[in-house]
Amino acid sequence: MGLLALGTALDWPDAQKQAHLVREWGIKQLLEIWKKAKGKERDAMLWGDEVEYLVVTYSKDDPKVLLSLRQADILDALAKDKSLAQRRCSPTPDESGYKSNQPNPVFHPEFGRFMLEATPGKPWGIEFKELLEVESNMKLRRCIAKDHMRPNEYPITLTTFPRIGSPGVFTDPYYPVSGPKLRSQFVPDEIANPHIRFPTLAANIRSRRGRKVQVNVPVFRDENTSWPWKDPTVNYDLHQWPEDDDVRNGAAPDNFIHMDAMAFGMGSCCLQITFQAKNLTEGRQMYDQLSPLGPIMLALTAATPVYKGFLADTDVRWNQISKAVDDRTPEELGEKPLEKDRWRIPKSRYASNSTYISEDARLRPEYLDPDLVIDENIKQQLLDGGMDDRLATHFAHLFIRDPIVIFAEDLQELDLNKTDHFENIQSTNWQHMRFKPPPADNSIGWRVEFRPMEIQITDFENAAFAVFMVLITRVILSYRLNFYIPIKKVDENMETAHARDAVLTRRFYFRRNLFPPATRPSRRGSPSGSSTPTSAATSRPPTPFGPVEDEYRLMTINEIINGTAYARANPGDVPASTTDDKGNDEYATDDFPGLIPLVESYLDSVNVDVTTRCRLARYLDLIRKRASGELWTAAHWIRNFVANHPEPDEPSP
Amino acid sequence: MTKLILSTGNIISGGPSIIRKPGGFRSNLELTNSLRSNFLAAQEDHLDTLADSDGDLNGNSGANGATHLDDSSTPAQRLPPSTWTSRENDTLYVPSIDWSSESHGLQEEPAQYDITAKIFFLPGIPVSQRPQHAQEALSHVLRALGASAVDLLIISFPGLSFEGDCEWEADKRNATQGNDEDEIATWVESVEVLHRTGLAKKLGVSEYGSEKLGKLLQRVQVRPAVNQINLKNCCNVPPPLLKLAKEEGIELLVHSDCTDILPKGTLRELLGHGLGGAGLLADPETGAPGLEGDLTPQWVVKYTAVVRDRGVIENKGYFAGAVLDDQ
Repeated sequence: MGLLALGTALDWPDAQKQAHLVREWGIKQLLEIWKKAKGKERDAMLWGDEVEYLVVTYSKDDPKVLLSLRQADILDALAKDKSLAQRRCSPTPDESGYKSNQPNPVFHPEFGRFMLEATPGKPWGIEFKELLEVESNMKLRRCIAKDHMRPNEYPITLTTFPRIGSPGVFTDPYYPVSGPKLRSQFVPDEIANPHIRFPTLAANIRSRRGRKVQVNVPVFRDENTSWPWKDPTVNYDLHQWPEDDDVRNGAAPDNFIHMDAMAFGMGSCCLQITFQAKNLTEGRQMYDQLSPLGPIMLALTAATPVYKGFLADTDVRWNQISKAVDDRTPEELGEKPLEKDRWRIPKSRYASNSTYISEDARLRPEYLDPDLVIDENIKQQLLDGGMDDRLATHFAHLFIRDPIVIFAEDLQELDLNKTDHFENIQSTNWQHMRFKPPPADNSIGWRVEFRPMEIQITDFENAAFAVFMVLITRVILSYRLNFYIPIKKVDENMETAHARDAVLTRRFYFRRNLFPPATRPSRRGSPSGSSTPTSAATSRPPTPFGPVEDEYRLMTINEIINGTAYARANPGDVPASTTDDKGNDEYATDDFPGLIPLVESYLDSVNVDVTTRCRLARYLDLIRKRASGELWTAAHWIRNFVANHPEPDEPSP
Repeated sequence: MTKLILSTGNIISGGPSIIRKPGGFRSNLELTNSLRSNFLAAQEDHLDTLADSDGDLNGNSGANGATHLDDSSTPAQRLPPSTWTSRENDTLYVPSIDWSSESHGLQEEPAQYDITAKIFFLPGIPVSQRPQHAQEALSHVLRALGASAVDLLIISFPGLSFEGDCEWEADKRNATQGNDEDEIATWVESVEVLHRTGLAKKLGVSEYGSEKLGKLLQRVQVRPAVNQINLKNCCNVPPPLLKLAKEEGIELLVHSDCTDILPKGTLRELLGHGLGGAGLLADPETGAPGLEGDLTPQWVVKYTAVVRDRGVIENKGYFAGAVLDDQ
């Protein structure tokens, strides 16, 4: 979350009237950055991680765990304490004697009033020793956060609080539900950060939709589940708000856990990694190449099997957040004919990517989304401002959305030395990748944010996934890997990643050959890292492309991460069906090298000291074993815990 | 005597052949695969040139068809070596190198890179030739990268390793390997000079156990800054070595190179007429023409250029030197 400006937030009908102005000014600000920053070169590889926490209360004599709503007080205590770490949490120096020069970590508010976000005090570099600092820094962050809480409060890294929205008391302090902002029958208004931005965000999404958000998750069915299953916590007899009609109008279908507020989605914690690219070209390349990895990493980090106290039939948070901030009107959703609205929109503002943005010769037009909705006028303005077609298309797609929160003070005059209006639209497009232009002062470079991963329970795991993503970007850029598949297949993979134990039981579309087609890049290909866009093969006419469908196939995550040979030797729980949709034998077609062997080959080619390599090996081992099923996901752990829990009234419905 | 210089070109985007296979530790496959594919690429380039020159008249000439070579086949008709190799005085470049081509050199000025070179002295080659081999190897690297110096030059002597499951045992056994006198002499006469003349900013050794390293440190003027080791599990560094390295400020780096990286038989296969061979050598069995005489590999050098602050490997490759005794 960025800096939270204060001001007069416009309610929905008023905000909507200003939407066009915000977009117009946002585009002008974008073009201003574009002009300033498009030629930026040689920015260092810097990266940052963001860890989000739930704050819970717990004491030995009272087994009931509650969400603490003291975010503001905790942040205040953190902000007032200048010597954050020096009390109990002094960072332990590395065993090799390497001393960190990281400043104190930084804590930020989040949407949920029970959440905290913590980032390192300054971005990480690519020095291998810095990669090893990540884990101890995450531990430090957790320690500092804990140190500024009450003795019975704890920061925990679970994606969602399993009992949020359950009947009875789940927050400390308790507040009654059905407040004027959220109008939720399950959570109180006080669940959201009280800063005017957040309740306004939730209220305006609801107003724009014309009803409450509908977050319905399929319920997990076991032999004891009555079927059809009706969510027993839904109250059909409330008559306080017009939106109380929603459930009487079918908002809560059978066999789904029903939720009705933004807090059920935006109250989720995740692990996000942002990379600074050396220039615009590299940033666009990283954005595209990391995009197909999104669903894979989502399934590998799955940690969200419980909602409202019930076991769900899915393992990840993604679709719930998507639904929790879905501000589309019935017309945009295609439920009513288009009259007032401009277009049908196939996805929520929070959804998997819809664009590839690189001017890369390997990007075939067939990979692009044929149903992409864009604002043609905005695209034309960007083209007139000198932006290329592909990037203009990307932003003209993001700018089909309305701004949700508008402060009256910001509409007095356009300030081209700011990016507030641009960011208003950009940062409320929550796709699984985000392409971030430099700030208005051009002080940092083009960045790419990787957003799909779920937060892990331990700092070790979070560090492992963060470091793995850093290494994989270095591998992509060094070996010039090509992960392109049609973006619609990435969408499908995103859905597949939701399945229970998708990491072990499902297969995902993935590109078969990551390398340039010819066996001879050494003599004619240009080296990587070129500042001009280059194609894989230069002087000779390009090899004619085969059908796009031949470029990818279904693979297990074990195969994607560990390679075909390892997956064959360690098949895990993959179901017996070993033929793909073309009837081919699962492993017969071709050998996929695997992302971990690629990372290891990269590490073999650079100078790494033994301590570092040993610690990196532990991280890679976690990911290898997650992919093969030797280690469980957090979702699997939680399911297993619930299934074996003695109390009869525990989550299993 | 003909000298042969074999080269791989930049292999960094060379595809799956350079990707480690499961369990494939300490292998020279990266070297042999990439030499083989570079020989093949050079031959295909020549075919393309032929096709380009007459292809306009005859649209379906064979450049994309039957005359294409691939890894698995031995072309029925070998290209004459003169078409894809080149001779400079008594040196034969296999394949020929276009030093001006964009696959050589670095995108940015050399100061932006961490350049590492590792020279492998091969077994059975007279120690007296090492000064010359070291010079030759390094100069090819510098020429390929368009750089005036490497940041780190690592020397690999023949016969050294950490073998065995027990780290203490491996360290002890290491002490008996190689030949300390030869190695120290080589260091003083061939390696330190490369540092003094500014061609190598830092020096390193490879596979040195605590005892050998201790001896080396006592007798050299320019100390190694780095010791590269290969262990089954890099978490089990022999404690005496760990202690010595810490006391002496020597960085212990990991590598996965083979001890004997280019055996004589492997080289003959690469250049011979067999499956996947380049067809450069004469074949007494079939009477196929080619180079005749005894072929001996002498040195190998591996080089890597990594963009500083970005962790991106931009250029990686090998040269190998060999002599053909054709008298």
